[in-house]
Amino acid sequence: MTVFSLIIINKAGGLIYQREFQPGLRKLSTNDYLVLAGTFHGVHAITRSITPKLPVAAATTTASTPTSSNVPSTPGTPTPITPASTHSFPNPGVPATGLESLETDKFRLTCFQTLTGTKFLLFTDPMMTSIDTVISKIYELYSDYVMKNPFYQLEMPVRCEAFDRHLMGWLRGRT
Amino acid sequence: MSYYFTILSPTDVPLFNIAFGTSKSGGDGIARFRFPDTAQYMNQFIIHSSLDIVEEAQWMNGNLYLKHVDTYPPASAYISAFLAPSGARFLLLHQPPQLPSTATGSGSSSLLGAGFSASALGGGSSSRASSSSIAANPTSPQTEEAVRQFMNEVYEVYVKTVMSPFYRQGMEIKSPVFRTRVTAAGRKWL
Amino acid sequence: MTQPRHSAMLSISNTNPIPIANDKQQPPSTQIQNLASTGLRVPSNRKTIYDRHLNRTRNAELSRAGFAFLFAEMVTYAQRRVTGIQDLERRLNEQGYPLGLRLLDLLYYRTMSSSTSSSLSSSSTSAAPPNRPLRILPLLHLIHGPLWRLLFNRPADALEHSVSPDTPNEYMITDNDPLVNTYISVPKEMSMLNCAAFVAGIIEGVCDGCGFEAKVTAHNQPTEMWPGRTVFLVRFGESVMEREKVLERAGVK
Repeated sequence: MTVFSLIIINKAGGLIYQREFQPGLRKLSTNDYLVLAGTFHGVHAITRSITPKLPVAAATTTASTPTSSNVPSTPGTPTPITPASTHSFPNPGVPATGLESLETDKFRLTCFQTLTGTKFLLFTDPMMTSIDTVISKIYELYSDYVMKNPFYQLEMPVRCEAFDRHLMGWLRGRT
Repeated sequence: MSYYFTILSPTDVPLFNIAFGTSKSGGDGIARFRFPDTAQYMNQFIIHSSLDIVEEAQWMNGNLYLKHVDTYPPASAYISAFLAPSGARFLLLHQPPQLPSTATGSGSSSLLGAGFSASALGGGSSSRASSSSIAANPTSPQTEEAVRQFMNEVYEVYVKTVMSPFYRQGMEIKSPVFRTRVTAAGRKWL
Repeated sequence: MTQPRHSAMLSISNTNPIPIANDKQQPPSTQIQNLASTGLRVPSNRKTIYDRHLNRTRNAELSRAGFAFLFAEMVTYAQRRVTGIQDLERRLNEQGYPLGLRLLDLLYYRTMSSSTSSSLSSSSTSAAPPNRPLRILPLLHLIHGPLWRLLFNRPADALEHSVSPDTPNEYMITDNDPLVNTYISVPKEMSMLNCAAFVAGIIEGVCDGCGFEAKVTAHNQPTEMWPGRTVFLVRFGESVMEREKVLERAGVK
C-alpha cells in the first residue's frame, strides 16, 4: 500500500500540483516535473488518437431492424458512406480514454482524466491494489477543497492548504 | 370600535398604515372616528406621540406584545403596541364608539383645540354602538387577547414580507396581498 | 441555443395551474381578480409568498455543496475591486447584515409557532413565546444557541467575556469549524482574511435588530485540533453599556 506521489496536470498540459507522500521515487527537479507533465500530456493525446475503432458492420448486426442495415448497401443511395463513418468506438458517447496506466518493475503510474480534461497521475507500488478507490477519493477531495475554494483560479497551480491537509490525512489514515 | 393600525420602522418611518372598523356584532368594517375631518392626521399624531412610552416600556418588558401602552383621553384613543424582534413597531389605535348618552353633543369642528369641547360628533358612529365586550371596554382582558391574536397574525404576514429577497428593512410595504391579509386579520379578531 | 431553454422555462412555469389541495388559506377567486386589477403579477400557481409556510418542513435539508458553490461565488463577487483585506471583510459583513435582521424575525416566528414542539429546543420548555433580549447575556445566549442552531444545526462552541478590565464591552463567540469556511483555503498573502466575516455580519444584524449597537469581526485562532477555529469578537457600543448599567440597577433580567 505505497502511494509515492501525485501529479495533477491541467487540460493544457501544465503542471498544477505535485506532492510526494512516501519516499521511494528518485527526486526530480521542478523543471523535470514540468517536462514530465508536458510530455505525458502529449503522449496521452497521441494514445487517444491511435485508439483503434471498431468496424461499423459489427454495430449494425446488433440493430433490431434489418431494413436499416440494408440501406447502406442499396445502390444509388443519395448519401454515400464516407470511410470515416464505417468505423466507430464501441460506445460512440464515450471518447477514447488514452493511456491509463504505465508499469515498471518498481512503480506503476495510473492516469485518471476528468470530464473537463484535468489529469491525475498517481505513482504507486506495482503490487498495490484498489487504486481506483484512492483515485476517486483524490478526485472527491479535489472537487471539494479546490473547486469550491473561491481563491482558486481555474487552470492555475493548486495552492490550497485544506486540500493538502485532507489529502495527507486521508492517505495517512489508510496506511 | 374604529381602528388605526400602523407599522413603524426602527427609525420611526411609517411602513404601512390602515384604518378599519370592527366587524364584530354587526359592524361593517368601516372606520368611523369621532372627528372624521381631523382623524387622518390626529390618529398619526396620537400614535407617534405614544412612541416615547413604547420605547420606555420596551426595555422593562421582554414580551413581543406590550399590551395597552398609552391613552389619549380627548379622543378616547387607546394605543396597543407589539414589537417585532428586529425593531419594527406595530401600533394599533383603537377608539371605542360613542356612547349613546354622550352622543347628544353636536357640532363638528375642524379646529384641533375645539375638539376638546366638541367631544361628540353626530355621526353614524353613535347609532352603531355595539354591546360586544371588545368594543365596550378597550382595556379588558378580552380586548387584550383579541389584539394579541391580531398582532400575531400580522406578525406572521410581516415576517413573510421581510423574508422576500426584494424587501430591505425600512422599505414601505406596498403589497396589496399584505393589505388584504391585514384586513382579514382585523375582520377575524377585532 | 438560449431560445429553447427559455421556452422550456416558460412551459415549466405554466404547467402547474393545479392549486395544492391541502392549503387551508386558499385565497378566494375574487381576491385574485382584485389583485389582477392592481397590476400585480401573481405566480401561475396563484401562490404568493403570503400563501407559503414559514416553517421548515421536517427533514428539509439543503445541499452543502450547493451552499459551498454559492458562498464561493459570493466571496468572488465581494472580491471585485476591493482595496484590501479589510475592505473585503467589510463587504462580506455587509452581505450578512440584512440576513441577520431577517433571521431574527424568522427565528422568533418559528419559536412562537412551534413553542410546543421542541424543534428549536430552546432552554425554556414552556409554551409562552420567548422574550426579546433586554440585557447583553440573554442576547449572546440567543446567538450562541438558537441562532446557531437555525443556521448550522448545532450550537456555537464557546461564549466568553473579555477578561481585560479595559474592554468590558467585548465578548467572544467561538466556532471550531465554521461551515462557511469548510472548503475555503485562504492564500498565504491574505492570511489575515477570514471569510466568516459574513457570519460576523449576520451576528451584527441580529445585535442591531435587538437594539444592541455592536461591531462584530471574525478572527482566525487556529489550534492543533481545529485549524479553522474562528472567534467572533462582539464589541458593544457605549450606549449599550450605559443602558446595561441602568437596567442592572432597575433589576431587569
